[in-house]
Amino acid sequence: MSILRARYFDSQRSIGHDVSVILGSGALKLVGRDIDLHFDSRQVRVAPRVADAPRWIYLPGGGACALEDNDAVDALAREGRFARFLHRLESRPAYAALALALVVAALWVLIDRGVPAAAEQVALRIPPATESVLGRETLAALDRYWMKPSTLPAMRRAALSARFHLMAEAARDLPPHRLVFRSSPRIGPNAFALPAGTIVITDQLVALAHSDSEVLAVLAHELGHVAHRHVMRRLLQGSATALIIAGVTGDITSTTSLAASAPVLLLQAKYSRDYEREADRYGIGLLRKAHIPPRSFALILERLQAAATARHRGGVPGFLASHPSTEEREALAREAATH
Amino acid sequence: MAEGESASSERTLRPEFTGSGAEYFRVWVVNLLFSLLTLGIYSAWAKVRKKKYLYGCTRLDGDSFDYFARPEAILKGRIVAVLAFAAYALVGELYPESRFAFWGAAAIAAPWVIVRSLIFNARNSAWRGLRFHFNGTPGEAARVFLGLLAVTAVTLGLAYPWFVARSKRFVLEHHALGSSRFGCELSTPAFFWLYLRALLMQIGLLLPAGALAFLGVWALRSHESLSVLAIALPALAVYAVYAVVYGYLQARTANLMWNGSYGPGLRFSSTIEAKKLIRIYFGNIVAVIFSAGLLIPWAVVRTLKYRLSCLAVVLEQEVVHEADPGFARVGATGQELGDFFNLDLGL
Repeated sequence: MSILRARYFDSQRSIGHDVSVILGSGALKLVGRDIDLHFDSRQVRVAPRVADAPRWIYLPGGGACALEDNDAVDALAREGRFARFLHRLESRPAYAALALALVVAALWVLIDRGVPAAAEQVALRIPPATESVLGRETLAALDRYWMKPSTLPAMRRAALSARFHLMAEAARDLPPHRLVFRSSPRIGPNAFALPAGTIVITDQLVALAHSDSEVLAVLAHELGHVAHRHVMRRLLQGSATALIIAGVTGDITSTTSLAASAPVLLLQAKYSRDYEREADRYGIGLLRKAHIPPRSFALILERLQAAATARHRGGVPGFLASHPSTEEREALAREAATH
Repeated sequence: MAEGESASSERTLRPEFTGSGAEYFRVWVVNLLFSLLTLGIYSAWAKVRKKKYLYGCTRLDGDSFDYFARPEAILKGRIVAVLAFAAYALVGELYPESRFAFWGAAAIAAPWVIVRSLIFNARNSAWRGLRFHFNGTPGEAARVFLGLLAVTAVTLGLAYPWFVARSKRFVLEHHALGSSRFGCELSTPAFFWLYLRALLMQIGLLLPAGALAFLGVWALRSHESLSVLAIALPALAVYAVYAVVYGYLQARTANLMWNGSYGPGLRFSSTIEAKKLIRIYFGNIVAVIFSAGLLIPWAVVRTLKYRLSCLAVVLEQEVVHEADPGFARVGATGQELGDFFNLDLGL
């Protein structure tokens, strides 16, 4: 039999009573001034221990006791194995450090492997047609503010389109795709894959390229984005990382959570670089299949880099960049060329 | 309520937080680990555990608070919230026009979400064995949150301080400890003056901050490798000004709100200093960024400690509060939806 000091509340009036909790065989007794209560100890529920916060004992009928001496309560009320395990983990700095290391590892695995793999699996099961509304609206918005109709001769466009479709046929299992030509001095030499497999190429890029192979090399890369469903995966990964960040930073005020959302930008950039690498590999594979020298890709990248440097000076550091460095990508293409 | 022996003079109670950042960190990190390992399922249990710690370590007149929500209810709410979020994020991206439908649905659901969230939290919190209650209705919430927000939009934001005052009052005056209802009388002009001062402060700070950022960019113009700073400097300056004004508004609105609040035989008083709160926020931001989020629990405890230390309950007479006999159980879906879509009710 042991006696613990506690504060007893009857759940009807905001009055605390100092009582002694006496735990005997099968019964729990509360004794204090004007208080003498008996409970069946099987009907008494002891709240799980959380660090050294006061421990609550919930009594049948709605009353409750708060106890300060957690260790004494532990000695009396055997908690479940998981509850004891949890408390042990929470009580020692060494375990907290271990948990911290595991949290970092789990986050890394989740963000580096889990989210991309899950997004890929889900994206491949969503029909490309779901992107068509978004694709149409994106192209319309770009047309309104950034791009003008192409000024290339119709013959030249038809020839490039023909070669593009010939190359695309070399790839099997490509989702629906189409090629559109636009002129945009504001965007400059560029090509990009929009939702639902629309690939836009600017006149400026066609002008920059020294051969059709170079244009096709860029388009092969864009087909890589289409084949790997990067648009859908970007959407899925964006939502998933937002969920993870919200879960991890859950309980803080909004100014600080703005600070905590900085990692989202870095993650988006990292995922974007991963997509570019994947599209590069796909593009080079496709060029080989279509008997176009992969070296063309290295050449056009070099020209694009030179053009970009001429347009805006400076650049962003690697971890912020949306694309891998041109050196890295050229090396990949050159290596492919020697094989 | 029954009145006890009437005291001759007032008694001032100061809530205190008796836990520590280090202890909360250990609870936080272990529960975060389990949440990650179970892909979020355990997060409902983690939430209850963390709140139980924070409430248990908060004491008023010697007795601590208790939080006893059922994690299963929170888990159910979280699943609904995650599904709603996923639908919004994906469908909203793929069919941009569907966002209007989502916003419409959110506006219709918001009063219900707000009220349910307040009820769930109040009924699962207790002090001295008495549960809190919230008895606002979705209809009233709609009038305050949708009606006044509409007025704010129509007046191009001019009515915003009025909206803030009314929404704070709505939240406070419908809370009760047992059957003792709280009340709240706020002076709307005080809120207008406060927001006017905040606006002037923002303008006053943005000018020098902008000038400094511009000077910095100008000084760096010849260093190509530093061109990132050309974007970062002005953004940082704007962010810093935003944090200062935010801290100022938080401190002053909390003071206005608590100083206008009362209950049977008691009134509240709040003396948060804007300068100190801003300093705490800046410390939190820097600490959270440079620790990659690890110091979040430390920031939570530090902010809570300061805010509690500025709050006082002045007992004009000793009153015993009694339980409210009629109450029903409420699900957590409303609360979890509110948490997810960042409904900040800011108490």
